[in-house]
Amino acid sequence: MTFSIAHLLPELLGTYGDQGNVEILSWRLKQRSISHEIIVVKAGEKVPTHADLYLLGGGEDDAQIAASEILNHGGALRKAHNNGAHFFAVCAGFQLLGSTFPASGNRTIDGLGILAVETVSATPRSVGEIISIPTMNIPMLTGFENHAGQTRYLEELQPLGNVTTGIGNGLDTKVDGVVTDQVVGTYMHGPAFARNPELADWILTRKFGVLDPIEAPIFSALHDERIKSVK
Amino acid sequence: MYLTLVIALARLGGVISRITKRGSGVMVTGRVLLKLNPNAVTTLSLGRSMILVSGTNGKSTTTALIHKALSTKADTASNYTGANLFPGIATALAENRSAPLAVLEVDEMVLPWAIGQTKPKVIVLLNLGRDQLDRLSEVRVVAATWKAALVGLPSSCTVLADSDDPFVTWAARDWVNVVWFTSGAVGHIDASTCPECGAVLKWTPDGTSYSCECGFRKPSPEWILRGAQLTGPNNQKIAVVSAIPGNAAISNAARAIITASLLGVPLSDSSAAISKISSVDGRFSALKIGMTNFRLLLSKNPASWRETLATSSLGAKNVLLVVNANTQDGKDTSWLWDVDFTPLKGRNVIVTGDRRLDVSARLTVNEIEHVIAQNEDAAAKLFGALDADLIASYTAFHRLAKGVKR
Repeated sequence: MTFSIAHLLPELLGTYGDQGNVEILSWRLKQRSISHEIIVVKAGEKVPTHADLYLLGGGEDDAQIAASEILNHGGALRKAHNNGAHFFAVCAGFQLLGSTFPASGNRTIDGLGILAVETVSATPRSVGEIISIPTMNIPMLTGFENHAGQTRYLEELQPLGNVTTGIGNGLDTKVDGVVTDQVVGTYMHGPAFARNPELADWILTRKFGVLDPIEAPIFSALHDERIKSVK
Repeated sequence: MYLTLVIALARLGGVISRITKRGSGVMVTGRVLLKLNPNAVTTLSLGRSMILVSGTNGKSTTTALIHKALSTKADTASNYTGANLFPGIATALAENRSAPLAVLEVDEMVLPWAIGQTKPKVIVLLNLGRDQLDRLSEVRVVAATWKAALVGLPSSCTVLADSDDPFVTWAARDWVNVVWFTSGAVGHIDASTCPECGAVLKWTPDGTSYSCECGFRKPSPEWILRGAQLTGPNNQKIAVVSAIPGNAAISNAARAIITASLLGVPLSDSSAAISKISSVDGRFSALKIGMTNFRLLLSKNPASWRETLATSSLGAKNVLLVVNANTQDGKDTSWLWDVDFTPLKGRNVIVTGDRRLDVSARLTVNEIEHVIAQNEDAAAKLFGALDADLIASYTAFHRLAKGVKR
C-alpha cells in the first residue's frame, strides 16, 4: 500500500524552508524503494482525513491564524488524528496543534486541540541554534529556532528533547517540542530532517518498523558539524 | 561654511580608516559626519532633486542604472556601491555637493528616515521578500513601516511602485501620486495572505494577479514590461536593452528608464546610456582564480537565488556555489530548502563556503550531482583552465569582488 504524506498548506506554513522536510522524507523513502505519495494541500482544497503522515511547518502571524481556521473547519485534522494518522509539526504548526496560541494585538487564537499544550507570547524572540538530547534512542538533535511564542504542557507529556543550547518550548522548561503516540512537535524550524535524519527515520519507523540504513554520510557530517559549531 | 568644515573632518576620519586598513572609509566618513551634524543629510539634500530606491532585491543595480540615465541630463550623486545605511547615504551626498540630482539606494528599514531627511522627488519601491529572517523583520513588518513612512510625504513626491508585489502595493496604494509598474512577475512566496486583512489572498491561476474579498487587489499599471518591450502612458514605448544578463536586469533597467523619465530624461536617452552598463559593484564581473575564469554572481535570499540560477543556466557548464552564514548573510540556512536547484542539473557543480555541508545536503535531496571543495582555490584546481560561474552569498561575494579589476 502506498504511504501517503499530506503536506499541509505550504503557502501558509512554509516560512523557513519547511518544504525541505517533505523532500527529505520522500528522498529517504525513495532510497529504500518504499512506494509513497505526497499530497500537497493548499488553501481552499479539501484536507484529506486518511493520509498516513501530516506535515505542518512554520508561518507568520496572519498565515498561522488563516491555517488554523482552515484546518479547524470541518474537523478534518482531528478526524485524521482519530483515524490514527501521524503528525510532524514545526514551530507555528506545533503551536496550532495545541489549545491556544497568541497573535498580534494581544489576541489569543484557538488551535486544533490535538495536543494538550498552550502557547503564550514571550520576549525576547527566541532566535538561534538549538541543541537537545532526545528522549528517544536517536542521536542528539540540532536545529535553528526563530519564534516569539513559548509553549507549556497542560498535562504530563514527553518532550522531544532536553535543551542544552537554545530555548525550545521556553518558560524555563528547558525542553523542546513534544512526542505523543502520534505527534512529534518541535521548535527546530524548517528542514529539521536535514540535520537530523534519524529523527525522520524514527517517525517512519513508527509506521514501517525497522528500516534499512541509507548510505549518505553528508547528513551525519552536517549533523556533527552543526553540533560542533555551537560547542 | 560650518558644514564644509564638518565634512572635511569626516573625510579625514575616512582617510584614517583607509590608511589603517579598517575599511573603505565610506562608513567612517558618514558616521563622523552624522555625529558632528545629525541634520547633515537634510542640509545636503536641500535644493536638489532626490530619488530614493528601496526593496529586498535589485537596489544596487537599479540605483546604478538610474544614476547612469540621470547623468545624461545632469551631474548626479549616488551611493550605488551598496553603502545603503545612514553613513553611506550621508557620505554619498557629502562627496558630491554640487550635483543637482541624487539617487540613493536605501536599506528597507532605513527608508522612513531617508524620506524624512531628504524630502524626495521620486521613491522607487522594488519588492519585498523573505531575507535573513534571523536578524531582519518579517516581510509584513517592513511593509507596514513603509506604509507609515509614505503618509508624511509631500504631494509633489512620485512613488514608482511594483504592482506585481502585494506588499509594495499595500504599502503604496494610499498615496495619491503613485505610478504603477508591472514586469509580469508571477506569484510571491510570502504573499499567501492579504496584507490588508490577513485572509487568504486569491491569486489567478497564472500567478500574475491577486485580489482579496476585503477589496484589496492588484492595481492597473501605467507602465507595462512584456519581454523587453516597455510601454507607458501616452503611447510611450521603448525596447529595453541591458548588458547585464537576466530578466531581473531588464526589469531594473525598465524601472530606471521610467524613473529618469519622471525627471524629464527622454526614454531613448536613458535606454542608450544604461545599455552600456554590464556590471554593478562586481556583479557579473570576471575573476580569475588559479587557471579558472570565473564570472561572479551575487545571491542573497530565495528570490535572488532563483533568479541567479535561471540566469546562470544560460552560462558556462561549470558552476561553483559559495555559501556562508555570517551575520550579513543571515545565520540560518533554512532558506536553501526554499530554492529549487534543478537548473543546476547536468552541470559540473562544486560547493564551498562555510556552510558547504548544508548546501551539499540540499543538493543531494535535490538529486544534483556535485563535489565539495575546501575553498575557491581547491575548486579552481578541479575546474582547471575553463570558464565557470561563481554564485556567492553576500560575505563571500564581497570578499571575492575585491579581487575584481574595476
